[in-house]
Formats: sequence, C-alpha cells, structure tokens
Amino acid sequence: MPTEAVFVLRNVTKVFGRSAVLEDINLEVASGERVALIGPSGAGKTTLLGLLNGTLNPTQGEVCTLGQNLSRLSRSARQQVQRDIGTIHQQFHLVNNLRVIHNVNAGHLGRWSFARALISLFWPLEVELARSALEQVGIADKLYETTGHLSGGQQQRVALARALVQNPKVILADEPIASLDPERGRELMDLLHHLSQKSNKTLVTSIHSVHFARSHFQRLIGLREGRIVFDCSADDVTPAMIEALYRIERGDARGERVEA
Amino acid sequence: MSNEAIVRPPRVAGLSRPSWFNRQTAWFVAFAAVLLWAVVQSGAFDGPILNRGGWTLALQFARAALHPDLSADMARLTLDSSLTTVAFAIAGTTLSIAVGLVFGVLSSEVFWQLVFPARGDRQAVRHRVPLACVRAGLAVPRAIHEAIWGLFFINILGLDPLVAVLAIGIPFGAITARIFAAILDEAPREALHALQSSGASPAKAILYGLLPQAMPDLLSYTFYRLECAIRAAAVLGLIGAGGLGYQLLLSLQSLRYEQVWTFLYALIVLSALTDVWSSFLRRRLHLANRTELKFAHQPKERRLQYRVDPAARRSLVVMAVLVVFSFWYIQADFARLFDPHTLSLLAGVMRDALPPRIDGAMLGDLLRLSAQTLSMSILAITFAGAGALLLSFPAASNFLLPGGIFDHGGSRARAFRGTVIWIVGRGVLLVLRALSEAIWALVALFFLFPGILPGALGLGLYNLGIVGRLMAEVTENVDQRPLRALQAQGASSAQVFLYGVLPATLPRSLAYVLYRWEVCIRATVMVGFVGAGGLGRLLADQMSSFDYRSVAATLLALLALTFGVDSLSTRIRRTLRV
Repeated sequence: MPTEAVFVLRNVTKVFGRSAVLEDINLEVASGERVALIGPSGAGKTTLLGLLNGTLNPTQGEVCTLGQNLSRLSRSARQQVQRDIGTIHQQFHLVNNLRVIHNVNAGHLGRWSFARALISLFWPLEVELARSALEQVGIADKLYETTGHLSGGQQQRVALARALVQNPKVILADEPIASLDPERGRELMDLLHHLSQKSNKTLVTSIHSVHFARSHFQRLIGLREGRIVFDCSADDVTPAMIEALYRIERGDARGERVEA
Repeated sequence: MSNEAIVRPPRVAGLSRPSWFNRQTAWFVAFAAVLLWAVVQSGAFDGPILNRGGWTLALQFARAALHPDLSADMARLTLDSSLTTVAFAIAGTTLSIAVGLVFGVLSSEVFWQLVFPARGDRQAVRHRVPLACVRAGLAVPRAIHEAIWGLFFINILGLDPLVAVLAIGIPFGAITARIFAAILDEAPREALHALQSSGASPAKAILYGLLPQAMPDLLSYTFYRLECAIRAAAVLGLIGAGGLGYQLLLSLQSLRYEQVWTFLYALIVLSALTDVWSSFLRRRLHLANRTELKFAHQPKERRLQYRVDPAARRSLVVMAVLVVFSFWYIQADFARLFDPHTLSLLAGVMRDALPPRIDGAMLGDLLRLSAQTLSMSILAITFAGAGALLLSFPAASNFLLPGGIFDHGGSRARAFRGTVIWIVGRGVLLVLRALSEAIWALVALFFLFPGILPGALGLGLYNLGIVGRLMAEVTENVDQRPLRALQAQGASSAQVFLYGVLPATLPRSLAYVLYRWEVCIRATVMVGFVGAGGLGRLLADQMSSFDYRSVAATLLALLALTFGVDSLSTRIRRTLRV
C-alpha cells in the first residue's frame, strides 16, 4: 500500500472565541486508510473534519491536505484541492427545494463551468452517471423527486451519491449515521466501507458507534476535550480505553475525579 | 471523465425526464404573454414617452438634492409637519388596531366555534355562516385604498384631522382584522379549551386563553402596520389631509425644490426610524421576519419561549406615551363624526351614489381604464420583482459582509468592499420604500408623459424597496450549511449561488412578489391621483366633481380588479407550493 500522506497535521490548535476546541493535534493519514474519529460530544471531531476539508483554518499549526496547506492557497487554488475531498454530513446539507438529480450533480460543480451548471438546472446533464450513482446507493427511482420530500435515510443516500459523482480521492463523513435508524446506518457504513476498499479512497469518519468504528475501520483515533487520547489500529483498542474516553467527569475545575 | 467509484449498471427502463409541460411552466408562459400585453397597453410603442420639456426641471430638482432648504423657518415647518404625519400615523394605527381586534375576533373561526360548539360527533357547520358574512363584509373596506377613503372623508368633513385618522384606520383595520384572525386561529388551543370547559363565555375564553399566546405575533404585526401607516399618512397629505405630504406638494407645485428635498429627507429619516425600531422589537420578541405570520406555519414551540423582554416593555411604554401625544397633537374632534350634520351629509352621499351609473359609454371607459390599470400593476410588479431580486442579495446581512456566505476570509479590502456594497444596498432599498409610490410617480412625471408608464415606474420603485427588503430577510433566514457543504467540495461562489442560494430563496421570494401584486393593484389609485392615469385618475375627477353615481361605478370596477388579482395571486402561490 502506498504511504503517501493525504493529511498531515502539525501542532494544530483551533480556538473559537476564547475556548480551544482542538489543542496541539499531530496526525498523519495515509492514502487509502479508513480512519474513525471517536469520542464524546464536544471533543472536537466536527472541527477536525472542518480543518481537513478547508472549511476552517487552524488558529496555530499547519494542516496539509493532499500535500497543500489550504490556508495559504488562493481561493481558486484551494477550490482545486477541495474538488478531491467529498464530505458527508449528519444533517445531509442538501438543498431541499432542488430535485435529487441536481443535488447529485452538485458533485460536478468543482469541475463544471458556470454555464454548464446553469444549463443543467434546466436540462439535467450527466443523467446516466447520476442514475448509476443513485442505483449504487439503492434509490435510483428517486432521480427526479424533490429532495426535501425524501426520508432521512434516502437523503443521506443522496448525499453519498453526490460524493460518488464528485469522485474525490478522500471522503470525510461527519456522524453520517447519527440521523438514521440502526439498519439504515449499517447499510450506509457498509456502502462507505465497500467504496473505500474498492476504489482505494481514503475515508475519515467521525462516529458515535464504537461498534461500527471497530467493524468498519482499520484505525481509530480517540478525541477528548480537543486532544488525541489514543491513535491506534482498531484491533489494539481495548474496552478500558473506550471507557476512559467516554467517562463522564464530575468534580471541580482542577480535574479531581469521582470514579463511577 | 472516468469515475471508477461508480459501477454502471445496465440501463433501467422508465424514469424519463420530467416533462416541461407542468403547471409552473404554464404560469410562466402565461406571465410572459401577459407582460407583453401590458407593455403594448402602456403605449410604449405609440409615440413619444419621454417628455424632453421636463428635463430642465428634472435637472433642477436633482441638483436641489444637494442643497435642501435648512433655514430656521423650514426646520420648524418640517418638524411640525413631521409630527403631524407621525401623529396621524399613530392615531390611525391605534384606531386600526381597535377595529382589527374586534373584527379579528369576530372573523376568527375559533370564536364562532366557541359560540356554536359542535354537539356530539356531528360536524358543526352553523359557525360557518356568520363567519363567512363577517369575512365578506371586511373584504370591501380592505380592497379600497386609503387614498380613496381620504378623498371620501374630505368631501364630507372638509380638511379635518379626522380625515387622515379615519382614512388610515378603516382600511388598515380591515387588513389587521384578517391577519389577527389568522393569528388567533393558529395559536395553540389547549388553554382555551380548558377555560371553555370550566364555563367561561367565548369572549372571556379568548381574552384569557388565546390572546396571551398570540401576543408576540399581534405586537409584531402592529409595528409592521405602523411602518405602513407612516407612509400612508405622508401620502394622504398629498390629497390635502395635512402633514409632510401636503407641504411637499405645495413646495413641488411652486417649484421650490430645495424645500421639497427637506421634506423628502425628513420622510426618509422618519421611515428609517420606524423601520429600525420595529425590527429591534421583532428581534427582542424572537420573531425572525416581519411578515412571517402571513405565510408560514411556524413551529409552535417558538411561542413558548416568549417572555416580555425589558427593552420590549420599555418600547411599549414609549408607544403608549406616543399614542396619547398623537391624539392630543392632532386635536381631532371625534364628536364631529356623530353630529347630525355629518350624518346627514353621509346619508346624502349614499343617496347620490345609488344606483351606480352604468351605461354604455361609462362601461366602455371602465373597461379601457381597467385594462390600463391592470397592465400598470403588472409592469410595476415585474419591475419591482426583478429589481428586488438583484438588490436583495447584496442587501442581505449574511451575504458579502465579513462572516457572510461569500466572504472568504480574504483581505481587509474585500471585507471593506463587502460592507460598502451592503450599506449601499440597504440604503437604496430604504430610500425607495421611504418615499411612497405617489412621490416616485411625481418624480417620474418630470421626464415621462402622463400615462401608464410613470405610474408603473412609481409603483415599481416603491414596491422594489418593500419586496427587496423582504427578500433580503428570506436570504438572511436561509440555512447556510448546505451552502458551506457546496463550498467545501470546491464549488465557485457563482455556482454556490446557483445551486444553493437561489433554489432555497426563490419560491418564498416569488410568493412575496405575488402577494405584493395584490397591494399594487390597490395602490394604482394613488398614482392615478397624482396624474399617472388609469382608474385612479378617473376616480379623482369624479370625486372632485361630486359625481357619486360615477364614483360608485368606478369603485365597483376597482373592487372587481382587486378581487380578481387577489384570487389569481393566491392560486399561483399555491402552485408554487409556498
């Protein structure tokens, strides 16, 4: 397996207002790796994903995405890199008033000219590709439906189809199954896993289910209060490590703990 | 482009492209045809439309903008007439709220359901009859523009401060009643039913069980009405009721443009102040949008968050003081309304007006002028809608400003440019809506010959200001996350606009335009009064010659037009599913 690094983070700190959401993160993700970010709510998982896809810039330190430091690039150069990163979100982040085909075709936007994008809104282009992508996620029959009318599970599939059409080198997913029922969740995880394995795409996912994290990923990164607690192969993570990661602390600000 | 991630399955049959022959495109084609008809109607192809003779005056007028008359006498006069206008507006709004509360309850479904409770499992229909009667009765005063009410009361009462108060209070009261009824019908009913089952009378049950819950919406709408009333009061001045509009017209007629500009600036400041106050209050009451209650069935939880905020409470106290001041300042003699002389005049007008004069010549005139009026409203609303769409985005506070959707955290110069564009956008919209359609029509008459075009331009400019601000609010309320998602995958700003912003805002924005079309057709009267043409001009002539039988016929034509546009607009909005 090639070990060319997709993401390199050096001493990264991200501050919102006065509180540091991420502190001194050092991390490398190699091409083709499947990485799960786990940890309690508020640990900084979403912020970390935002740094990886260039939506956020680090307060300190350096984030290199596909060999480029996004915060130093011009807007068009940054867009160039972002074309190779597909992101899927917990709340899907689709445009509800548009038909499914247009939301899927939005995956082309990084490559399409403005004119092409405009024409496609009136006369959908690349219909076959969109149909195949939807076929792959199991909802080909929804091609021309209004996206807002679909169920949550179906909308998440549309979001995945958009990422497929974008054909990125890296897929980032932020709690992709948190809004789905367990069965839809498993199907989606299987899809992501299959996709990453088949076309050797790098996959970084934040996820609440430790079970899926172990079953579908090679590498687990535990985040807690903005710091990396552990970063190891899925097989090496012990129940004790998981318990320590999610433990609810009581006590005063100096961190005296009342063990449960 | 090869895409190894996607396995191409064998082609599935079925699932053809959706046809372009659907209701939306049908409406669009119909609109294009009607727009063409309106352009032909406007006389744009029938000879000269630009009045070159007026250009020198227009130039003088424009130059005077830089040197408004700021002498001490003028300052006093401006202050005095501004206070008069504000007092008219506040007194008129107070009256309209009183009318609106009473008739809002009487035209709400929930009230009549309380009066005639459903017995057993039989579907109650008895409450529908009085409800329909009250609603139909309110439709007529609502459809008649405040300027017509104004002229009517001037004919009866002469130049009396009562004219402005009544002319604002009656139509606004009928509009308010409709909105209040909708608010009451949508408020949660649990508390009401509890009171009702413990034996409270319908009126008491509504007072204690429903009104408190509906309060924030009622308050927000009241302030929105006050914004409209300020402009209406100024406009009523143009037909002789006093205040800023009256002084403005006098100065305009004597070609003293420096004075005209002083009054115009005063009007803009007044309008801006009310605007700021009302949006401050809305924010404090957790209401996102000035007209949201007309369109949205928002989640009920929002109402539960409501507490009387201290700043909002202070606003209410200030408002109460202003109401008292207003009634004192205008010195209106309400007893005059009920004195026998007024009543006999009123009865005389009624006698004179019936039956409406409908003969062959009149009918021909009415048809021709109705077509002109309709085309004027269509040109105006098309202009307003297109302009508003362009201006609303830079005027939205989440767009180009630092931290907005299209701010890329770039240089300070970019942030500065974004801020400047925002301020200019907001300012243009504010000025456009601060000066009403009649004043814009007067300005347009400097360089256009009287007819449909100056009226359409006046109406269009004013409504551009209103619709543009509403659309900016739509954009400000848009969910930003899908847009950020598009950006994160490398889409350019123009593409994010096309695939994210526009689809999310366009349906709601179009609904506002269509809603505004109803207002526009009513307001054609106003631009007609200042000489732009259409039914309004005819009505003004008939009014000033006290020919009430013809007035009645023209009013009938106007009502028919208004109701027609009303139902068409409602139907189109339904197809847009907003």
